[in-house]
Amino acid sequence: MDAIRLDHVSKIYHVGAVTTRALNDVSLSIGEGEFTALIGPSGSGKTTLLQLIGCLDKPDMGVVQIKGQDVTRFSANQRADLRRTSIGFVFQFFALVPVLTTYENVELPLLLSGVKPTERRERVLTLLRAVGLEDRAKHRPDQLSGGQQQRVAIARALVPRPVLLLADEPTANLDTANGQQVMELMARLNQETGTAFVYATHDPRVIAFARRVVKLQDGMIVDAGVAG
Amino acid sequence: MLSKLWVLAYRDLGRNPRRTIMTMIAVALGLALLIVMNGYIAGVMDGVLQNGIRLKTGHLQIRASSYNETDLSLQGKDLLSEPALVAARASALADVQAATPVLWVGGVLATSSDAIGLQISGIEPASSLYDPIRTALVAGDFLTADDRSGILLGRRLADELGLAVGRNVSLTVVDADGQAAEGSFTVCGLFNTGIPSYDEGTVLMPLAKAQAFAHADKRASAIIILLHNEAATDRVAAALQTSNAQVLTWRDLNQLILQTLESSLAFYTIMDGVVILIVAVIIANTLLMAVFERIRELGILSALGMKGRHLTQMLLLEATCLGLVGIAIGLVLGLSGVAYLTYVGIPIGNMASVTGNSLALGSTIYARFVPGTFAGLAFATLLIILLAALYPAWYAARLEPVEALRG
Repeated sequence: MDAIRLDHVSKIYHVGAVTTRALNDVSLSIGEGEFTALIGPSGSGKTTLLQLIGCLDKPDMGVVQIKGQDVTRFSANQRADLRRTSIGFVFQFFALVPVLTTYENVELPLLLSGVKPTERRERVLTLLRAVGLEDRAKHRPDQLSGGQQQRVAIARALVPRPVLLLADEPTANLDTANGQQVMELMARLNQETGTAFVYATHDPRVIAFARRVVKLQDGMIVDAGVAG
Repeated sequence: MLSKLWVLAYRDLGRNPRRTIMTMIAVALGLALLIVMNGYIAGVMDGVLQNGIRLKTGHLQIRASSYNETDLSLQGKDLLSEPALVAARASALADVQAATPVLWVGGVLATSSDAIGLQISGIEPASSLYDPIRTALVAGDFLTADDRSGILLGRRLADELGLAVGRNVSLTVVDADGQAAEGSFTVCGLFNTGIPSYDEGTVLMPLAKAQAFAHADKRASAIIILLHNEAATDRVAAALQTSNAQVLTWRDLNQLILQTLESSLAFYTIMDGVVILIVAVIIANTLLMAVFERIRELGILSALGMKGRHLTQMLLLEATCLGLVGIAIGLVLGLSGVAYLTYVGIPIGNMASVTGNSLALGSTIYARFVPGTFAGLAFATLLIILLAALYPAWYAARLEPVEALRG
């Protein structure tokens, strides 16, 4: 079964009198465990596509399916439930909760899901070990480097054991070395967890990590790549 | 989940400590002001009422059915014909602390240089009802029952007329027959109760002398009754009710005071509302700023699957944290203020006399602890804080994640 399936999806934004078609009749399937890059110039629709796949927004036309469920019909609460259990997010701006420690940031999605304390602890520590930040568990985000913060964000995204991890420009705010480290980590965790990774980027060094590359231009897919 | 929301809520308050502290101070000062204000008002009200009961009206009065207080009538039909018997019957009741007859006579007190119209009270000096005046004696001696020429004056009245103990004054009254009666009396003592309106307008003489002077035979205007416990008022009133007499309770006798206090209370209730409203606006403003500053972060929490109701709870918990700490500080400040005003008081000196003879306001005003009112104010403050937080919380809850992530 596909992890994600989009059929004829369009998204239109209205800003004042101006109408912008951010996505135009996009159809795409991404299988379980894939490691896919969405590429294209700024304004090509990468972020909008990620937001629709991630149930952060609804399309104006077409259907989005996650693991066979038509999420376009979901209520706000159902979409929140799906995000909590099945979708992880990594944002360009790290997006950690500043008042929580590394450990607490990673633990947060499990708390929202009502996972028991002992299991929570085990899963958080496992992922902190996996991203190499076990010794930073008690640090707050402002005590971590950009690369470390992004690794915490990856651990947080993976801790609910999602079907899908979506990353929007995950290395855009990192230097080359940290960007490289983060991409290597994502690629390794993709292999270890079987979670499908979809990330948007226009950095050629980051694109190189992808096993499938989907090209967007002017809100349309111009090359869907080959699933691998 | 709730415990983590608490953690988030109180740590969120630490992001902008200056704003948080200022908001807590606003809550604390608001509540402290309310507590002090209400404690003060309760103290003034209670003081005025208790002074009135203690020095003037007693808890109950028995009068002839036709007696009219404003006329100070001395006609036989308007007076109690066997006051000693009625007083004895009242004294026999377990709830009664003291019951004593009194004769009120309107008259003019004149010195060689001045004259003043006032009410003369003929009293039984031995009655414990007059213990407060006995202890307030500042010069000379208290009255004795067989004193034929001595009168007792409030010190303020004496000062006003340039009188001292041992000085002679002339009293003129219209007696029971409607004739003017004049007599010479000697000031045997001065008292200072601390209630200017009482000390400026009171002349006391023995009942027997007042009866003889006003040709009222053995009659009395009223029996004044003091109870051990105010709560027994209605019970005792019912027990003493007869067909040819009226029994008036302290509520009937202090109607003007009660009405005045009630109107003041309405004004202070409005003041309470204004203060609480100001606190509410400050809280709403603080939380709205907190929401606007954290819109992207709220979007992240939403992206992680936090539902609108959890965001609402989180904001309400922040408001609760702010409120509880502010309220705790406000209680400490407010109760300290009330304690100071209760035990030290505010001396107002002569200002008390501007209230006239109707309100027995002391020259020092004391507050009073009213725990029920204070708890109610603290609860109302917390409630209004939570209500004020509803809009920011609702705003946060209905944020679209994708909009919020854009900041």
